[in-house]
Amino acid sequence: MQRSKLWARLKSWEALLFIILCVVIFVNLRLSSHYLDLNNLANIFHLSIEKSLMVLIMAFVIINGEIDLSVASIMALGATVLAERYEAGWSIAAGLALALLVGLGCGLLNGLFVAYMGIPSLIVTLAGQIGYRGAARIILEDRSVGDFPKWFTSLGQDGFIGPFPITSFLFLALFILGLVVLQYSVFGRYVYAIGNNRAAAEYAGINAKQVKVTLFMLSGLIAALAGACYAARLGNVRANAAEGFELDVITIVLLGGVSIFGGTGTMLGVGLSLLVVLNLRNGMSLSNVDGNTQTSVVGSLLILSVLIPNWMQRLQRLLSHLFAKNPKLFNRGGAAEPKSPVSVHQ
Amino acid sequence: MRRVRRLVPLQRLRELSLVLILIIVIVIFGNQIDNYYTPRTFNRISSTVALITLVAVGQTLVLLTRNVDLSVGSMVGFTAYYLGRHLSKTEDMSPMVLAAMAMGIGGAMGLINGLLVAYGRIPAIVVTLGTMAIYRGALVRYSDSKSVATRELPPWIKDLPQETLYKFGEYELRALPGIALGAVIIFFFILLYSSFGRRLYAIGSSPEAAHLAGIHAPRMVTLAFTLCGALSGLGGMVYLARFGTITVEAGRGLELQVVAAAVVGGVSITGGSGTVLGAMLGAILIGTLEQSLIRMQINEFWKDAVMGLCIIVAVSVDRILINQLTPWWSRTELQRMPEEPHAEV
Amino acid sequence: MTADPLLEIRNVSKQFGATKALDSVSLTLYPGEVHALLGENGAGKSTLIKIMTGIHQPDSGEILLQGHPISLHNSAQAQKHGIAAIYQEPLVFPDLNIAENIFISHQRRNPLVRWGKLYRDAEKVLAQLGVALDVRALARGLPLAAQQTVEIAKAISMDVRVLIMDEPTASLSIHEVKQLFALVRNLRKAGVAILFISHRMDEVFEIADRVTVFRDGQFVSMAPVAEVTPERAIRDMVGREIGDIFVKEPSPRGDVILSVKALSREPRFRNINFELHAGEVLGLAGLVGAGRTDVALALFGIAPAHHGHIEYLGKEVHIHSPKQATQMGMVYVPEDRRQHGLVLPMSLMANISLPSVKNYRNQFGMVQHHKEAATAEHYRQQLSIRTSSLSMPAGKLSGGNQQKVVLSKWLNTKPRLLILDEPTRGIDVGAKQEVHRLINDLAQQGLAILMISSDLPEVLAMSDRVLVMREGQQMGIFERHEATQETIMAAAIGQSVEKPVERAAEYA
Repeated sequence: MQRSKLWARLKSWEALLFIILCVVIFVNLRLSSHYLDLNNLANIFHLSIEKSLMVLIMAFVIINGEIDLSVASIMALGATVLAERYEAGWSIAAGLALALLVGLGCGLLNGLFVAYMGIPSLIVTLAGQIGYRGAARIILEDRSVGDFPKWFTSLGQDGFIGPFPITSFLFLALFILGLVVLQYSVFGRYVYAIGNNRAAAEYAGINAKQVKVTLFMLSGLIAALAGACYAARLGNVRANAAEGFELDVITIVLLGGVSIFGGTGTMLGVGLSLLVVLNLRNGMSLSNVDGNTQTSVVGSLLILSVLIPNWMQRLQRLLSHLFAKNPKLFNRGGAAEPKSPVSVHQ
Repeated sequence: MRRVRRLVPLQRLRELSLVLILIIVIVIFGNQIDNYYTPRTFNRISSTVALITLVAVGQTLVLLTRNVDLSVGSMVGFTAYYLGRHLSKTEDMSPMVLAAMAMGIGGAMGLINGLLVAYGRIPAIVVTLGTMAIYRGALVRYSDSKSVATRELPPWIKDLPQETLYKFGEYELRALPGIALGAVIIFFFILLYSSFGRRLYAIGSSPEAAHLAGIHAPRMVTLAFTLCGALSGLGGMVYLARFGTITVEAGRGLELQVVAAAVVGGVSITGGSGTVLGAMLGAILIGTLEQSLIRMQINEFWKDAVMGLCIIVAVSVDRILINQLTPWWSRTELQRMPEEPHAEV
Repeated sequence: MTADPLLEIRNVSKQFGATKALDSVSLTLYPGEVHALLGENGAGKSTLIKIMTGIHQPDSGEILLQGHPISLHNSAQAQKHGIAAIYQEPLVFPDLNIAENIFISHQRRNPLVRWGKLYRDAEKVLAQLGVALDVRALARGLPLAAQQTVEIAKAISMDVRVLIMDEPTASLSIHEVKQLFALVRNLRKAGVAILFISHRMDEVFEIADRVTVFRDGQFVSMAPVAEVTPERAIRDMVGREIGDIFVKEPSPRGDVILSVKALSREPRFRNINFELHAGEVLGLAGLVGAGRTDVALALFGIAPAHHGHIEYLGKEVHIHSPKQATQMGMVYVPEDRRQHGLVLPMSLMANISLPSVKNYRNQFGMVQHHKEAATAEHYRQQLSIRTSSLSMPAGKLSGGNQQKVVLSKWLNTKPRLLILDEPTRGIDVGAKQEVHRLINDLAQQGLAILMISSDLPEVLAMSDRVLVMREGQQMGIFERHEATQETIMAAAIGQSVEKPVERAAEYA
C-alpha cells in the first residue's frame, strides 16, 4: 500500500516536472557561472512577473474547461488606463482602482458571453483579445505614457528583500492563495467538478454559469493587476504592451499538467512548470539564445508532454494485449476522432 | 416564401446576409469618406484581403473537422522567408515552380500538424500552439535573425502585386487577390462536389455517425491540416510579393485574424458547418472595415476595438438567429408528413 | 421457409464487466422473412444488434452469412456484407442535407458528388417509402419521424440483405407506420431478411413471420407467429426468476410529500397525476422511452414541465434548477451514473460531499478534509461501500459501489424525497440486494421514494404502488396487490389496460 502510493507519486506529472526542473537547473549551472547570482535569480521572476501572475488564474480557467485568450489585451488595457488616468492628474491609487475595475468589467463581458450565450470561450476571448487591445489603442493611440512617481516604479524595479522587488512577493502570496483556493476551498472544488463533468456538477446543484462568470472576472482582474505591475516595472506604457503573452501563459499552464479539456491539473504542477519555463528561458538567455528559439523549445516541450504519455498508454495497452494473446490486437488503430478542445465542453 | 426557402439553402442565406452587411458598411463609409468609391480603395482593400482570404480558406478546412490551426501565421512567415532567401540566391525561377515550392513547404508543416493531431491524438489547440512556436523558431534558426530585403528579390515578384489579371472599367483584378479568389473557387467546388469535402463536413457534424458510416476520420483530418499548410505556404508567397521585406516576425498574429475572418464568415468553430465563400466574405468585411477606418483619420485607433466588437456581434447574432431559424427553415420543407410524430396511435 | 438460412448467429456470448449481456444465444434469419425479436429492457437485444453490425465483437460464438463464417470488426464491414441497422435513436449528420445523409456510405465509391443525380436518387428512394421530404433540406432540426425515415432510406439505398430495425415505429404516426410496413413487405418480397424489434405487440403480430423471445441475455423461445399469442409472448418475456429478491417490508404511510397534477411537457409526457407519501415507494414502470425519466427531470428542475402543478409539502412550487430542488430536499439519483451521477476522476470522498460541501467549511472558508472523510467513512460503513481508500477516484469503483456513492451523496443532504432512476442497473446481485435493503430502510425512516425501474421483479418487490407509463401517457396506478409482472407489462405495451386485474387472473 505505502509502496504503491509512493510509486504513484513518483509517476505523477509533478514528479516528472521536478526532474525536468532539476535537469534544467543543472544544465544552467554548467553553462553559466552567473546563473546562481542572486541578481540573476531575482531576474528570473522579475522579468516575467506579469506572465507569472496570469498563469495563476489561467490555470483555474483551463481546469474549468474554458480558455481566456484576452488576458494580454486586458493587461495592456489595465496598464493603459492606469497610465492615462495618472497623466490626467489622478492619483496612482485611483488610477489603479479604475484599471482593476476595467479588468473586472472585461472579464464580466467575457464570462457573460461564454456562460449565458453559450458561445465557445475560444471565440469570445479571441474577440476580446482584439477588442480590448483596441480599447487600449483608443485611449493611448500610438503614444508612450510614463513619468510615474519614483515610489511607484521602485515598487516594480527595486529590491524589497534583497534584489527581489515587492511584485515577486505579490506573486508568491497570490500563488499560495491560488493553491489554497484551488485545492482546499469550496470554489476550487466546484471549478474541478465543472471542468470534469459539467452535467454531473449541475445535477449536484452547482450553478456552473455563476462559477464560469466569476472565473472570467477574476481572470480580468488579475490581468489588470499584471498590467499595473508592468507599468511599475517598465516605467512607461504603450498600447501594444504584452502582445502574444497569452500564448506563453497558456503553454505554461498546459505544460503544468492541466488538460485542455479541463478537470485535471494542480497548482503545484503549474508552479513547477512555471519554474521550468522561466529557468529554461533564463539559461538560454545566458547562453545568448534568442527569444523565438526559446519559445520554440518550450513549444516542443509542450507537444512532447502530451505525446509521450499518450504513447506510453498505447504501448502499455499493446503490451497487455500481447500478453493476453488477444486476437484483436491490430484492429485498434485510428478509431478515435480528434476533437477540438472547444467542442468537448458543450 | 416556401419557394424561397426551398431554393435558398440556409448556408446561402448566411452568405447573402454577409453581402448585405458588406454593402451597408460600404455605403456608410462612402458617405463619410471623400473619394471612397475609387479603384484605389478597391485595390487597397483587395490586396489586404488577399492574404487573409487565402489562409482563411485553409483554416476553414481545419475548422470544419472540429479542429483549429493556430500555426498558420508561423507557416506563412517561414515560407515567405524561405522563398525570399531562395529567390535572392537563384537567378531565374518560374512563378509556378515557386508556388509549388511554397505549397510543398507549407504542406509539409501542415502534415506534421495533422499527424500529431490525428494519430498522436493530441488536441489540435495544443499541437498548433506548439508548432506555432516551433516553426517560428525554425525561421529564426534558418534566417539567423537576418531579414530578406526587397532589393534582393528579382523584379517579377516585386511587380506581382501590380500585375493585372483582368480589367473591368477602371477596376482591376490584380494577381494577389486573383490567387486568393482562385483558391476560394477551387475549394468551394472541392467542398461542394468532392466526396473528400463532404466527408470533412460529416466528421465535424457528427463524429459518432461518421464512425458508424465507416469514414476514416484520422486520414481526413491529416489531409485537412496538410491542405491548410499548403495554402498557408501559398500565403507566404503572397506575403513575400506584397511586403518584400521579410523579418523573423513575418506573419505573427495572422492566425487570429484568420480565425476571426472564418468565424465572422459563419464557419462554426465546433465543426461541420461553414463555407470558404463565407470565410472570404468574412475576410472582406474585416478588411473593408480595417482599411476604411484607417482612411477615416480621426478614427484610426478605433480599428481593433471595432473589429473585436464586430466579431462578437457577428457570432452572437449568428448563433441566435440561425439557431432560431434553422428548425423553421427546414421543418416547413416537410411535405406529406402532416401528423405530429407523437400523435396517439 | 425452404431456402437456406441467410444469416445464422450461433452461440454468441458477450460480457460487459460483471454483466452478461448475451449468454450463448442463437438466431437464424431466412431470406424473405420478418423475424420479430422480443424482450424486456436489458434482455440483450441491443447488444445483439451491435454485434450484428460490427460495433461490438462477440466474446465467443460465430456469425455465418450464407453458411460462411464472417467476422465483423466495424460497421463498414457489416455494410459491405449487406447488413444494416436502423436504430431507435437515429444518428444523422445535422449539417448535411437529407440526400447526403441517405447516400453517405456510398461516397467511397465515387469521388465526385453529382448533386442533381444525388437529389433525384434520394427522391426515388424516399418515394419507395411513400414519403416526400425535401432532400435539399439540412437534417438539423428535422422531426424524429423524418430522421427515422432518412435512416430507413439510407439502409434501403445500400442494397441490404439483412435489415435490422430497432423499434423503428417508436416515433412514427399511424400513417407512417402503415407506409413503413408496406415497405417492409416489399423488402420481404425482394428476399431481404428483416430482424424487427418492437414493443408494440399489435405491430409484431401484424408484420412478423416468426417470433423469438430473449430474457436476461438468454434465448427463451422461438416460434412461427401463428403459434404465438400475445399472452404467451408476454409470459416468456417477463418470466424472470424472482429468486431471492429482497421484498420491501410494509412501512407506515405518512403525509403527502409530493402531489403532481396534470403535469405535461410535450412531446415527452402529458397529464401525469400522482401523490407520493412519506414512507412510501412509488414504482414508475414502463418501457424505455415511455417518458419516465423525463418526469423525473421535470421534478428535479433540469427540464421543467410546461404545464401542470407540483405541490411539495403542501405548497405549490415551480422548480427550475437542480439547485432549487436540492435545497427543497428533493434529490435525484440519475440513471446514467457516469454521465450525471458522478465526477469520475474525483475522489469518492469529494463526490459524496459535492452537493453539501459548503457545510464542511471552517471559519476561513476552507474545506475540512477530516470532516469530509468522517462523513465518507460513515457512509462507507453504513452502505458497505467496498473500497480500499476514501480518496480512490469514483471512476475506479465497481457499478454497485458507484451507485452507493451517489446514494450517499444525496442522503448526506438529508432529503425528504428521493427519486431513483434505475437504481440497480448494471450492478451485481449482491450489491443489488444491498441497495434494495437500503431503499427499504429509507422508506421505514419516512423518506418518500419515487423509483423508476425497468426491472419488473424489482418494481414488484420494492413498490407500494406502481405507476405505469407508455409513450408519455400515464396508463394507471396499481396497488401492490393488483400488480403482477403480466399486468404491468401489459399496461406498458398497451395491451388491454382497461381491466388489468381480470386479464392478469386469466393468464395466470
